[in-house]
Amino acid sequence: MDSDGVVIAGGGLAAQRCTERLRRHGYDAPIRIVCGETHLPYDRPPLSKELLAGEDRRLAFRDEGWYADNSVELLLGEHAARLAASDRTLFLESGDALRYDHLLIATGAAPRMLPAAVRFSNSLALRTVADARRLSGMLTPGARLVIVGAGFIGLEVAATARALGVDVTIVELEELPLRGILGGELGRWFAGMHGDEGVSLALSTGVDEFRGNGSVEELVLSDGRVVPCDALVVAIGVAPELAWLEESGLDLSGVPVDHAGRTSLPGVYAAGDAARPWDPALGEHVRSEHWEAAAAQGGAVADAILGIAPVPRGSSSFWSDQYGIRIQYLGHAGLADSLAIDGDPASRDFTALFTQRGTPVAALLVGRPRALPEMRRLIAKGSEQ
Amino acid sequence: MSYRVEIDEAACAAHGDCEHVAPEVFRVDDIAVVIGTAPPDRLVKAAAACPSAAITVIDDDSGEQLYP
Repeated sequence: MDSDGVVIAGGGLAAQRCTERLRRHGYDAPIRIVCGETHLPYDRPPLSKELLAGEDRRLAFRDEGWYADNSVELLLGEHAARLAASDRTLFLESGDALRYDHLLIATGAAPRMLPAAVRFSNSLALRTVADARRLSGMLTPGARLVIVGAGFIGLEVAATARALGVDVTIVELEELPLRGILGGELGRWFAGMHGDEGVSLALSTGVDEFRGNGSVEELVLSDGRVVPCDALVVAIGVAPELAWLEESGLDLSGVPVDHAGRTSLPGVYAAGDAARPWDPALGEHVRSEHWEAAAAQGGAVADAILGIAPVPRGSSSFWSDQYGIRIQYLGHAGLADSLAIDGDPASRDFTALFTQRGTPVAALLVGRPRALPEMRRLIAKGSEQ
Repeated sequence: MSYRVEIDEAACAAHGDCEHVAPEVFRVDDIAVVIGTAPPDRLVKAAAACPSAAITVIDDDSGEQLYP
C-alpha cells in the first residue's frame, strides 16, 4: 500500500504534470510538492515574452483551490537538502523529513551567472517570475540593455525589449547565435534578423570588465569597445540544481533516467531540466531543457508510478516567439550532414530541413506553424529507419 | 455548418494555448480535450495558437481542412 505516497522535489512544469496525471488516473495516496519559490507552481515561457512585455498574464498552472480539492500539499519556500534513499526519506533545509514511496527529482536548473556581474543591482539572469518583474521594470523606452549570450533566451529577451523601444546590445563569444544547435547558415539568419530589428550584435566577443558602482554603468568588451549599460541580462545557459543530491551517488550533471524517468535508485525518478533521459536517436543520455520535454517526462513518471504503459510520443518540439514570428524546432540537427531551405528567409517565412544521408533528422520552421505536423511525421518516419 | 476539431494526442503537450484562446472549446489537463464548439475563425485561431500544431479543424460539410 502506498501510504507515504509521492514526494516531488521541485515545483515546476514536470512536477505539475506528474501530479495532474496521477490524480486524473485515480492515484489517491498523498502527493507533496517541495517548491523553492513562494508562488504557486507556474509556467515559465511567458517570462521572456508576455510578462517581460508588461502584459498581465496569469502564470500559475492552477489556483490554490485546485491543490486543496486534489489533496496536493504544497510546501512553498521549502528546499530539498538531502536524500536518504535507503530510508526512502527526503530531508528539507528546514530540517523536516519526508518519507516517500516514490520520489520525483524535479528541481530543474539554475541560470549560470558571471561571477563578475553578480554584485550589481541592475544585473540578473532570467529564470523566475521575480527576475522577469525586475527586468520588466528596467525595460523603459530608450534604456540601454546589454545581454550576454545569444541563445534562445537571450534572443527572445532582445526581441521583447526591442518592441518596448529599448536599445539592445548582445555580446556573444561564438561567432554566430545558436551555431552550436543549428549550424552556421541558420545562425547567420538569426544574426541578420536581430540586426535588421536594430539589435547591436557583438559576436566572437567577450566581456573584459563590468564598470560601475552598485550598478553596471558600462561594459568593456574584449575588442576594446565600451558599451553603456542601464540593465544587464546574463543568458549563458543553465546548470541542473542537484547539489542537494551530492551524497546520493547520482550523477549531478543531470540524473540519468530511462524512458519512464526511473533512476538507478529504487522508487526514485527524475524529470525536467534536472534529468538526463535516454535518447534512442542519439544513443546516449541527454538533458533537453525544453518545455515539452519536461511536460512529457513528468507525465511519463506518473505513468511509471501508476504502472501503466507510457503513451507513445512524437518527437518533442521547441518553440520561440521573436518579433511576432513563431519559430519551431524539432529533432537533432547535430546528426545532419545536409540542410535544405524551402521558402524565403528574407521575409521570415521558411522551413529548414536537416537530413542525414537523405533521412530527415531535424527541422526549423520560421513563420510556418502549419508545417509542423508534416515535419513531425517526416522526422518520426526517418527515426524508424 | 458544423466543424470537427481533432487533437493529435501524441503531439499534444498540453501547453494550454488553445484553452487560453477558446475556453468554451478546449479544456486542458494533462492533455487537451474538446468540450464544445465555436465559429470557424475562432477554432482556427485556437488551432494556430498551439505551439505543437496538434489541432486539426475540418469543415464537416465540405470536408475541407481549415487548419493546419
